[in-house]
Amino acid sequence: MTLSRRNLLKAQAAAVAMAALRPGRPAQAQAVAGGIGTLQIKWSKAPCRFCGTGCGVMVGVKDGKVVATHGDTLAEVNRGLNCIKGYFLSKIMYGADRLTTPLLRKKNGVYAKDGDLTPVGWDEAFDTMAERAKAVLKAKGPTAIGMFGSGQWTVLEGYAATKLMRAGLRSNNLDPNARHCMASAAFAFMRTFGMDEPMGCYDDFEAADAFVLWGSNMAEMHPILWTRLADRRLSHPHVKVAVLSTFTNRSSDLADIPIVFKPGTDLAILNFIANHIITTGRVNQDFVRNHATFVKGATDIGYGLRTDHPLEQAATGAANPGATQPIDFDAYAAFVKDYTLDKTSKLSGVERGFLQELAELYADPDRKVMSLWTMGFNQHVRGVWANQLVYNLHLLTGKISEPGNSPFSLTGQPSACGTAREVGTFAHRLPADMIVANPEHRKKAEEIWRIPSGIIPPKPGYHAVEQDRMLHDGKLNFYWIQVNNNLQAAPNNSHETYPGYRNPDNFIVVSDAYPTVTAMAADCVLPAAMWVEKEGVYGNAERRTHAWRQLVNAPGEARSDLWQLMEFSKRFTTDEVWPVEVLDQNPNYRGKSIYEIVFRNGQVDKFPVGEIATDYENQESKYFGFYVQKGLFEEYASFGRGHGHDLGAYDTYHQVRGLRWPVVDGKETRWRYREGYDPFVKAGKGVDFYGNPDGKARIIAVPYEPPAEAPDKEFDIWLVTGRVLEHWHSGSMTMRVPELYKAFPSALCFMHAEDARARGINQGAEVRVVSRRGEIRTRVETRGRNRPPRGVIFVPWFDASELINKVTLDATDPISKQTDFKKCAVKVVPV
Amino acid sequence: MRSTGPSRRALLKGRLASGPVPMDVSTVHISSAIVTVLPDLRNSILRRLSALPGVEIHHAESFKIVVVLEAEEAGAIGGRLAEIATWSGVLSANMVFEQKEQLPDSGEAT
Repeated sequence: MTLSRRNLLKAQAAAVAMAALRPGRPAQAQAVAGGIGTLQIKWSKAPCRFCGTGCGVMVGVKDGKVVATHGDTLAEVNRGLNCIKGYFLSKIMYGADRLTTPLLRKKNGVYAKDGDLTPVGWDEAFDTMAERAKAVLKAKGPTAIGMFGSGQWTVLEGYAATKLMRAGLRSNNLDPNARHCMASAAFAFMRTFGMDEPMGCYDDFEAADAFVLWGSNMAEMHPILWTRLADRRLSHPHVKVAVLSTFTNRSSDLADIPIVFKPGTDLAILNFIANHIITTGRVNQDFVRNHATFVKGATDIGYGLRTDHPLEQAATGAANPGATQPIDFDAYAAFVKDYTLDKTSKLSGVERGFLQELAELYADPDRKVMSLWTMGFNQHVRGVWANQLVYNLHLLTGKISEPGNSPFSLTGQPSACGTAREVGTFAHRLPADMIVANPEHRKKAEEIWRIPSGIIPPKPGYHAVEQDRMLHDGKLNFYWIQVNNNLQAAPNNSHETYPGYRNPDNFIVVSDAYPTVTAMAADCVLPAAMWVEKEGVYGNAERRTHAWRQLVNAPGEARSDLWQLMEFSKRFTTDEVWPVEVLDQNPNYRGKSIYEIVFRNGQVDKFPVGEIATDYENQESKYFGFYVQKGLFEEYASFGRGHGHDLGAYDTYHQVRGLRWPVVDGKETRWRYREGYDPFVKAGKGVDFYGNPDGKARIIAVPYEPPAEAPDKEFDIWLVTGRVLEHWHSGSMTMRVPELYKAFPSALCFMHAEDARARGINQGAEVRVVSRRGEIRTRVETRGRNRPPRGVIFVPWFDASELINKVTLDATDPISKQTDFKKCAVKVVPV
Repeated sequence: MRSTGPSRRALLKGRLASGPVPMDVSTVHISSAIVTVLPDLRNSILRRLSALPGVEIHHAESFKIVVVLEAEEAGAIGGRLAEIATWSGVLSANMVFEQKEQLPDSGEAT
């Protein structure tokens, strides 16, 4: 008897699952390759398109279409597993409403702000954009043009964008939506270690004895990493898990120490733990003496609101929120002494016993601790402080930069690290942790970019929330949005975002694959190729750089963001956009197109098309006549090589499942700053935080300060926003997958049953969620997966028909400028 | 300004969302998945899984269950796994492999 075709496929499926069963063991060869060889599907590797975990997937293409995906068993991150969202990757490109042609608002055949979105050719779209941009540049200069990008840009796209904006058009008004996502984490890394991104890696999941989740709901937001964490906990009984959140969620199910704290009081809990470590004599004295120094931060630093807001006027430290001054250990110990168990328990609402158990995880010298966080810390008006306060705990105990001892900042976008941070697409940054305000850094960038001195402007541009305010106020007039849905994602959007997009003085361009709310509010919409419709590189949360090939063509006229940036740059010349005095001193740059300056500089264009793998398409390279991605990557990589940001050779990344930088002599680095693991730590040093000139990390003394807005008599309940398992961010991709749509079709207001009853609201009833900014209608869920305590509601933001960001407050961390989406005051009213 | 495209009213009313869009359909989908569970609830989860149509339990350990799923509609498997992922006691439900195919001879061959 032979197996039927169906049973053969089932046996194949089961065999692959068995191979993936234990993520801890070495990755094996693809069990799938032989079995599906007869099915005439071409399989290629790619990183997942969704979160910052960076799972490897195998993508199956048949007849020019992605027909199947599965977890890549050779990928160390996920070892063959795929979460629910990852499972549906093969469908995200095939929504029936893909944008396939540029659209321009027109009336009577010409562009008009009040016209209708009308299909046009690329030339007409770009010509209109260029005409508008040139008019704005002529009238107001480069500070009136801007771009809003993304941690979903490929590394190459982000690099092309930052170079086009800074080296070509001379504007630093470039910021990524990653500002909403992990700017607080990035600032804290720089302030503590002088270098961005985690010192540890995902290998810590198999080495830690305790996991502490600070506000992160990994069970829903990072399911693959959660599976690794759960595997460690359930197969090693001594391992403990602490889950801290402002409401009970699915991650709490695995918690040995479940903690629900009052919004914002995590700052006090962190200082209490430091105090506990000190007062119980568990400071690692040798480590602290040799590897740390102490500083005191500025206080009363405001809330990043508009400067005329009463809260900003009243804040005594708002003018210089990032200021620090040196102190010593004794002063630090005296500072945290105030955070007693009693005081912290009262302030946070957390039982004393849980606080003590939590503190002991860090204090116990024999327990290796991995701290994990994402938006709970980062979207916080004191987000930089929260990040730094957790580093304090790891530094005081020396639990850092070695297997299992790992303060680990998770990310939400596939290349938040690779593109937004490493490439430096923030308004203040350049590649490899350099900043525009530093003349030496500008000089280095100008040399690598082969442009005259003085082209890169020294003043940081507008950050994300400031861009919206400046569009609103008519100071930013030409604005290009790529790979993000900011009208849905931005805080207080009906007052601060939408009016700027529709301001008659402004011209708004949106590049996207789908007609998002942002695209529909634009004046010009450019259809974008997505994911494996182009060759690209992402960088995940553990410093892993991972490349993929173009596997299918984008539909219709859709083109990659990279192609769009490059083709648009042809429409500008140095004479139009560079200062006369610079051109007078450098006459050989006269009369050149910005395309020639940025992309045909002898470096970016030095690799021929012939170097592209022959069995893969590469539309951009064939169009422009050189291997675009390789040229951009190699020029970009030259920023970081030799000083701890080292990337490997571009071609290598197409062979491996990613490498964690610094990559030296072809070898990746799993733990930074530790001798024996990190090639930049010299023999005999042990630990060297070489990002700071003194080789030491900073321990900071900063207090608990209250959120920008808290419930009062009228707006009597906290609103926390966030995400759910089924949908990724604004839902522009996952809401187009029918099964995910059906699984979670619309936003809900998760609420405590007694809070609902007190307001006369029944389970499932329609309500209005109202703040001082705006309101939405939604339905109440008192029995769902998220179980807020009394006084807190949770509403996810994926649903374009219930835009919760009409309700949120545009308060930011004053240091990182990242919005706090987790704490504002609302009322919930029956309809 | 005359309103075109999305009006402020449409924005405020939340009338900008697109609904789900139909995808391609094929005949047979076969997948495998690993379900991670709290050990104390494993047996009850095994019972619930075995009661689901098109779900075969291939292997079970103390906190891991390997299942093979089959469905005739595109994406029904993913929808089912999304449902399993939210059950009480399920820590994660991750897909490992999926194949979809037209199967003209879907019966047993000898």
